[in-house]
Amino acid sequence: MKIFTRLLLLFLLLSVLPLALLGYLNLQQDKARLRADALGRVGALADKKAMQVRSFLAERERNVRFLAQSPSAIAGFERLSRTYPADSAEDEALMKQYFDRYIEESAVFYDVFMITPKGDVIFTQKHEADFATNLLTGPWRNTQLAEVFRDASMTLEPVFSRQEMYPPSNGAALFIAAPIMKDGKFVGVLAMQLSNALFFKIASDAVGLGQSGEAVFGRKDEEYMVMATPLRYLVDGKEVLKLKLAESKHLSLYAAIFGRSGESVKKDYRGVQVVSAWRYLPELDWGMVVKMDEDEVFASISQERAVTFEFVLVLLVLSGILAYYFARQISKPLESLAKTADEMAKGSLDQRVDESAFGELGIFAKAFNRMAVNLQGIYGTLEDRIEERTQELNATNAKLHEEIAARRDAEEEIRNLAFYDVLTGLPNRRLLMDRLSLALALSQRNRQFGAVLFLDMDNFKTLNDTLGHDYGDLMLVEVSERLKSCVRDADTVARLGGDEFVVLLEDIDMQAAQALEKVALIAEKIREVLAHPYLLSGREHHSSPSIGVCMYLGQETPIDALLKHADMAMYGAKAAGKNTVRFFDPVMQKTVEKHAALERDLRLAVSGGQLGLHYQIQVDGDRRVYGAEALVRWMNPVSGMVLPGEFIPLAEESSLIVEIGDWVLDAACRQLSVWQSHESTRNLTIAVNVSAQQFKLADFVERVSAVLNAHGVEASKLKLELTESVVLSDAVEVADVVAKMRALKALGVKLALDDFGTGYSSLAYLKQLPLDQIKIDQSFVRHIATDYNDALMVKTIIDLAQNFDLDVIAEGVETEAQLAFLNQHGCLAYQGYLFGRPMPIETLEELLGPG
Amino acid sequence: MKKWLLIPVVMLVLFFLYRQHHIANPVIRIGVLHSLTGTMAGSEAPLVDAVRLAVEETNQSGGIHGAKIQMIVSDCRSDANYCAAQAEKLISQDKVDALFGCWTSACRKAVKNVVEKHHHLLFYPLQYEGFEQSRDIFYTGAVPNQQIIPMVAWAMQTRGRRAYLIGSDYIFPHVANQIIRKLLFAKSGEVAGERYVPLGSHDFDQVAKEIASVHPDFVLNTLNGDSNRHFFLALQKAGISASDIPVFSSSIAEAELSSMPPGLMTGHYAAWNYFESVKSTENRAFIENFHRRFGQQRVVDDPMEAAYIGVHLWVNAMREAGSSNISAIKGELEKQAMNAPEGIVAVDADTHHLWKMVRIGRIRPDGQFDIVWQSGRSIGPRPFPFFISRADREKIESEYK
Repeated sequence: MKIFTRLLLLFLLLSVLPLALLGYLNLQQDKARLRADALGRVGALADKKAMQVRSFLAERERNVRFLAQSPSAIAGFERLSRTYPADSAEDEALMKQYFDRYIEESAVFYDVFMITPKGDVIFTQKHEADFATNLLTGPWRNTQLAEVFRDASMTLEPVFSRQEMYPPSNGAALFIAAPIMKDGKFVGVLAMQLSNALFFKIASDAVGLGQSGEAVFGRKDEEYMVMATPLRYLVDGKEVLKLKLAESKHLSLYAAIFGRSGESVKKDYRGVQVVSAWRYLPELDWGMVVKMDEDEVFASISQERAVTFEFVLVLLVLSGILAYYFARQISKPLESLAKTADEMAKGSLDQRVDESAFGELGIFAKAFNRMAVNLQGIYGTLEDRIEERTQELNATNAKLHEEIAARRDAEEEIRNLAFYDVLTGLPNRRLLMDRLSLALALSQRNRQFGAVLFLDMDNFKTLNDTLGHDYGDLMLVEVSERLKSCVRDADTVARLGGDEFVVLLEDIDMQAAQALEKVALIAEKIREVLAHPYLLSGREHHSSPSIGVCMYLGQETPIDALLKHADMAMYGAKAAGKNTVRFFDPVMQKTVEKHAALERDLRLAVSGGQLGLHYQIQVDGDRRVYGAEALVRWMNPVSGMVLPGEFIPLAEESSLIVEIGDWVLDAACRQLSVWQSHESTRNLTIAVNVSAQQFKLADFVERVSAVLNAHGVEASKLKLELTESVVLSDAVEVADVVAKMRALKALGVKLALDDFGTGYSSLAYLKQLPLDQIKIDQSFVRHIATDYNDALMVKTIIDLAQNFDLDVIAEGVETEAQLAFLNQHGCLAYQGYLFGRPMPIETLEELLGPG
Repeated sequence: MKKWLLIPVVMLVLFFLYRQHHIANPVIRIGVLHSLTGTMAGSEAPLVDAVRLAVEETNQSGGIHGAKIQMIVSDCRSDANYCAAQAEKLISQDKVDALFGCWTSACRKAVKNVVEKHHHLLFYPLQYEGFEQSRDIFYTGAVPNQQIIPMVAWAMQTRGRRAYLIGSDYIFPHVANQIIRKLLFAKSGEVAGERYVPLGSHDFDQVAKEIASVHPDFVLNTLNGDSNRHFFLALQKAGISASDIPVFSSSIAEAELSSMPPGLMTGHYAAWNYFESVKSTENRAFIENFHRRFGQQRVVDDPMEAAYIGVHLWVNAMREAGSSNISAIKGELEKQAMNAPEGIVAVDADTHHLWKMVRIGRIRPDGQFDIVWQSGRSIGPRPFPFFISRADREKIESEYK
């Protein structure tokens, strides 16, 4: 709230509120007092009225007592009673004259009655119908006159009658009766009828009751309440009101006729709110209510209220004006200070305030102005410095902008490098991982299946090995282009390295079955596209992909696992014969795990002496054993003997093959040295297979030489079998291969070309190699007896060997027919089941024994 | 709350506590003078209960302008002089605002002197012989014209002219019989016999014999206390039945009947202003309240009702006067009326007696009354009967001062 409003309200509150409260309290008290006063006043008036009525009646009773005891009346009564029922005009006249005082002159009574103890009315003043009747037996025996006669006779006391209709007088009548006593004897009753006019006048007199006041009298009449005197206000035009008792309990008069007295403000018979007091009049058995209209009684209080209200209003206005000026004096300088301070805050430092305010406000204003002057000075110097600094800042800023731009370019490059494969421009592993996590999150939300395709180009290694890295790179670029053409723009094609690619397919389908179908279709399409021949620098190259697929939905499978699964699926594809699409499934997973376990066991086997050699004998045309091929066997303590086909490919994937190769070489040489010490076996040779990795070793020749020396073996008895892939593994270094082979030859070691006919070795190349023997692959030998093409091939190989002046040996000879064919065509060395299976050295020595 | 608010709040609380203390309700004391021991104890003790009922009703309905009424009950020990001394003590020491009490006229006259000396205020609840009025006493019982005169008149109307008067030998019976004699004379009746026995007398064989021999039309009995039992037993013994010679008693009410042998007085008559058998809403409430407070087996009767209405009239006057100034109270009392159990009663300002209903009842075997006659409305009190001449009155007054 503003100070001005606050001050104004406070001032008004402090000045006017107590005043108003006081006035209100005063009024309330006044009203209560006035009410009490009014009730008291009306009560007093009621008492006065009751007294008036009662003393009037008491006076009348005294009149009757007096008359009943007056000797003239008694004498007159006696005379009249003696002559009754005969008329005695003289006595009557006398009596009339006697009573006239009360009737004609003062008019307090209406009529006089003299009644004998037997009830005969022997005298009346008015001679109405009741004269000369008997009150015990006559027509008026049920009237109130008869009643007072009986009561007076019984109790010998003056009594009042009820005030009710009296037919002989043709109107309401009230009687007072007293016994007439003569010398202590009861002789008769004197009854006097009250004058209604005077009685009503006294009863209804409203002096002191103001404008609206009234005294109301009523009596019980069985079930009714009857107004006994004329009412001031007419109800329905009737002067006399007769109300049911049960319906008038709320009226003051009801309480009064039942003997109660009191004062209250309540509604009267008209329904008007009145201040009333009620009393019971025992003489008449009447109730009386004295009342005044409330409006009249409380007229003064309304007036007083109006005056108080006006007074408070005037005071409110006056103190309001005062408070306004007072508050203004304080708030105006404050407002101006606030306004100036605000403007200064906005920058207009040349503003000043009026210093003419009073008291502390004036001091404040002066201090404020001083502050403003100082502020202005400081601000001036500050501005100059700011200008200077701003220029410096601008210069620095421009420089900074340049630097930022340069940095941004650099960062862009770094990001590209970091996220994209340089060769193909495809996303690299890191970006792929990023995309994958986004894709999984998206899938989690939209529940769409996605898939990860893991690709590996079959024989890529061979391409790289044979044609060099440049060709390999060209091919990879080509593969990446083809891959991109196969998928949607939204899908991600990434290169993980080497010939490994990953394709991420998102939002495939909500339904698992449909998703699988679509993915299979896409993968098949990719496989087909990638299997087309590649034209690399004018040379056609054949390759195909192995594709592993792993589906995903949501984030249940972690990214690493997902990739691993796809990878495993890809291996599954490779194992299934390459150029294949394989989906990841648990069975595949198991295979891979078995694979890993095997490799682990193999390492143990090499170091733990579980390897052993079996020997398959080689015979000449006369079936004489001239040597054997050493074949490695793994004596697994758990699963028994393992054949090389099962563990050699595995070993080739790691460096184990080298260790195995070394071990085989060593073991073979040891056996040779054993044989050399016996006459019968001195001429036997042992053929040992050499793997590509082993052969590739730079110190391979030295190793062979060392083994030979170590066992003191004659080198010519050792035959190294090289496959085409071993000698053709690195065409670029064919000279190196030839040099190695020559070095081996120089040692005296024999060299054989294994599995001849299965590779793509050109004859020109073959010609360069310093070989001693060619070994015909068993796949040809197996069908030479039945397949013309194979037979022709074998014949050609034998011819070739003869032309190149090389020995030739056939392996896998199992039947006599095969032997006959080979022998007929000039192949004079054989190896196969026909002569002996691979066998342990003991068995071999037994076999040789007799020879 | 802010601390500065605490100060005005504390001040306001203190102010209200002060006011509360300042206007703490005072107690208004009243003195009750009845015999709780001695020969009158049996009759008077129930009146204390009637007063107590009225006081408790008043206190329950808010007291007198918030003030509660406290009763100080003094045992008069059936001794008028002792009672007067107690009155003196209640007025001077206990500073009571009003006295309620006395039964016998002797007691009343003794206490009257004390009350008048102090210009104090006494409510006297018994019917009595009249010939008395005091500025300081309000008489809530009947005077002769409200009890014995109508009773005699009705007996003459219904039974005959000859009356036999039997009474205890003390003020009331003597004065009452004086009046009755005048009444009988005025109405040409006849006194067939008149006997007085000492208070507490048991021997009525002689009286019964006399009654049997003179054979009056009716007997007027103003015996008091225990003598009644022996009188009626003697009548029974003498073979006098109620239908033969009915006894009209002035001092036998429901309380007395409840201690009499059942059926002893059946068929005889008594006159009172109030009977328990009165049928009205007010009476029903009165009896119910009394029963609830003092037990179902208790009976109520005329003196108890008179004592009860005395308290209520005083309470109403106190309430209207708005002060405890005794003369103001008297002024208010003179204007009082109320719808009492007996009917409408009203104070007669001139005589300080009440306008009362008059009833004659015939005793039932169950100790209650069949009302055989009642006045049409309240009858004004006439302590000085109209039919007794000034000379006779002065004679009686001087005789029994």
